[in-house]
Amino acid sequence: MSTLLFAAASGAYGAKIHTPHIDYLSILPILIMMGGAVLLVTASSLFRQVMGVGSATFITVGTAIATLVAALFQWDHVVTHGAKVTIAGSIAYDGFSVFIQIVVAIAMLLTALIADGYLKREGIDGPEFHVLAMLSASGAMLMGSANDLIVIFLGLEILSIALYVLAAFNHKRAESGEAALKYFVLGAFSSAVFVYGIALVYGATGSSNLPQIADYLSKNVVASNGVLLAGLALLLVGFGFKIAAVPFHMWSPDVYQGSPSPVTGLMAAIAKAGAFAALLRVFVSSFGTLRADWQPIVWGIAILSLVVGAFAALVQKDIKRMMAYSSINHAGFILLGVQAATVRGVSASLYYLFAYMFMVIGTFAVITVVARDGDSGHQLTDYRGLGKRQPLLALAFAVLLLAQAGAPFTTGFLAKFTVVAAAVDIHSYALAVIAMASAAVAAFFYLRVVVAMYSPVGAVGDLSDLDAGELDAGPISVASPANAPVSVHGQNDAVASLSVLTEGPPTSAVADRMVRVPGLTTVAIGLSVGFTIVFGIIPGPIVDFAHQATLLFT
Amino acid sequence: MIGAASALNGNISGEWYLALAAVLFAIGAFGLLIRRNVLVMFMCVELMLNAANLTFVTFANMLHDIGGQVLVFFVLVVAAAEVVVGLGIVVAIFRRRANATADDFHLMKG
Amino acid sequence: MDDYLPILILIILGFLFAALSFVGSAMLAPKKRPTAAKIAPYECGIVPTIEPPTRFPVRFYLVAMIFIIFDIEIVFLYPFAVIFRQLRSFGLVEVLVFAAVVFVSFLFLVSNGALTWGPAKQLVRAMPSRTSESTIARITAGPGGPGGYRDPSGPGPGGTRTTDPVPPITGDPAAPAGPVRAA
Repeated sequence: MSTLLFAAASGAYGAKIHTPHIDYLSILPILIMMGGAVLLVTASSLFRQVMGVGSATFITVGTAIATLVAALFQWDHVVTHGAKVTIAGSIAYDGFSVFIQIVVAIAMLLTALIADGYLKREGIDGPEFHVLAMLSASGAMLMGSANDLIVIFLGLEILSIALYVLAAFNHKRAESGEAALKYFVLGAFSSAVFVYGIALVYGATGSSNLPQIADYLSKNVVASNGVLLAGLALLLVGFGFKIAAVPFHMWSPDVYQGSPSPVTGLMAAIAKAGAFAALLRVFVSSFGTLRADWQPIVWGIAILSLVVGAFAALVQKDIKRMMAYSSINHAGFILLGVQAATVRGVSASLYYLFAYMFMVIGTFAVITVVARDGDSGHQLTDYRGLGKRQPLLALAFAVLLLAQAGAPFTTGFLAKFTVVAAAVDIHSYALAVIAMASAAVAAFFYLRVVVAMYSPVGAVGDLSDLDAGELDAGPISVASPANAPVSVHGQNDAVASLSVLTEGPPTSAVADRMVRVPGLTTVAIGLSVGFTIVFGIIPGPIVDFAHQATLLFT
Repeated sequence: MIGAASALNGNISGEWYLALAAVLFAIGAFGLLIRRNVLVMFMCVELMLNAANLTFVTFANMLHDIGGQVLVFFVLVVAAAEVVVGLGIVVAIFRRRANATADDFHLMKG
Repeated sequence: MDDYLPILILIILGFLFAALSFVGSAMLAPKKRPTAAKIAPYECGIVPTIEPPTRFPVRFYLVAMIFIIFDIEIVFLYPFAVIFRQLRSFGLVEVLVFAAVVFVSFLFLVSNGALTWGPAKQLVRAMPSRTSESTIARITAGPGGPGGYRDPSGPGPGGTRTTDPVPPITGDPAAPAGPVRAA
């Protein structure tokens, strides 16, 4: 390979090399986010003794706000000057990319606020957490602006590699390391599949640049090119892993459960935002001419995600596992917009990503504080009586869960409504019906948590009462109070939930204690709930925002 | 593929390289799914990434486009970074365990 | 549909190769299960009387990982060096930014003590000064437990006990020889 390069280089010797013009404004938010991470790691290396969690959080919040301001400035600039493609065609500077930058910057801001209290509580010192979080956020932002398959790959890897480490960050919990290893192995597998997909697409079209691919496909009739279709399928598999769509979702319950709770929130929000942004850009804009080939596949993946996500979540006892399946269900909803592949579909997906980001980070903020010391109180029983002990926290959690279920007057309702409307628009009636049915099923498991919060704390043995009544009975109610260690290597979730149960619920003495909610976490929860309700009642601005972002698509 | 690709200047045509890359990729994917040793699983990931690299270089040669070779650099660097992080995670985990077998990881089920 | 044929053939080829390898190894390999002696770290014919130190200090892995990162950056510097003159100031600025970022990671490593060779700092700090009382306390506490090495007066002003939540990374903390060697 080096000889090839040598030949090419010496062949061009003496010739003037055209260096690309770097339009710094178009990558300003990414530069700020990465610069913040580099600054923080430098500061922490030089002033290790004086840097605490607080100062690291301060720098991170400052960076996230600066990124947000830069992105808003970009938005203004794009609206007045129009979209363009810069930096040798590898970066798209349009409303779509700016929208993703804004979503990710807000996600980073909220996560920094939540992580501050978490790190102090768990006694994990060091600013590395914030550095890695900022790096992974910059990766997601890069995926949003990428206009070249290899830049998407780089963004994907910056996003994922930092998240692998973040998943392992709580070294006091064995689950954390296990989650990181599982995430790493399956993530690396999906990355390799993705790269191979890029290689095949490159071979079939002669370029890895998205507009050039689109150009090639519009000029040449390659309706049944095997290499191209194989590449397309591999790309879809790679994206499927990142957005945790069924059947590429196996990693997500374990990783969501094992990772530190603030990381899970960040993972759910930005990995989905980045991967869906790239997925939309690649499939809707570049491979739009091959729509007939990929639409049925996405249709199938969407249905599987909707159904498996909703039903598997029903039998979970661990709230983080439940949220993992719920996020799979949400991925199915967002895929509805992708499948539509219309302007309406894309804008619905963008709106969903924005609304989901607030809901999921707020939810994980509450999960973080309820888990108490050691980040271990994730059973449904830990939420019993929360409504009585801390009514405000319980109310915030209830609002966030109901919003995820799609209750009216929240952003969640509108998000679900717009993607279903986009599906109906292109006559995917079956998909729309299944989506609505899965939303109804999903409402059960969200309501189960809400009911648990507002029911009194019972004795240790009465776990089964909670679910046996009106909600899903199923395998949970068979749980006997027998505390014999059940070492089942369960394949299905029913067995898994049983084995979780038999580990013994927390004693009511622990469950009765109030949980401490740090000030910054309160701010984050407040922002999430506020956004979810305010823009649920006044939906106009954000819907217009998402719609305009789509119109400024290059 | 056979119809689309032009013959290389050398003795061996490009299709063979592509076939080799596909076989390497399949071995890597297969090995990742069936092997239980985490370090061997890392090697399988490397094999898959290098199969992609071989595909890139072959297509770059077929298309007479230097771009494909440049992409290999990025994949190489990412592969190195990935394996370093993976080894770091493994080292962090196996401070408390004796061996590197994926079957030991069943704290979480479902 | 003809275009799918090569893909199908490739897939079949891949599976065939993997399957043949398995069948071949199952048929050709000697039918002996690995015994405990075979999977021992050093198969030298002598049954080990003490447990061999199967864990290398993590430090070595760390150095290997650092090497990989600093080794792979050459991939970008080498092409840059080849066309350094044609790139003019643009290339210089880009490569300086790249080098600065790599240097920051180096700074981080140095500050974390990843390149500090010799006994780990925490262990040295954790070692109490040896007095006749501490020796008596150590002997009465018996061998084996790390508690025998603690200063009986508890953590002193000099930070005799490390506050770092990470266990000391060199050696086995339970082995009596570890901290003594570090001194």
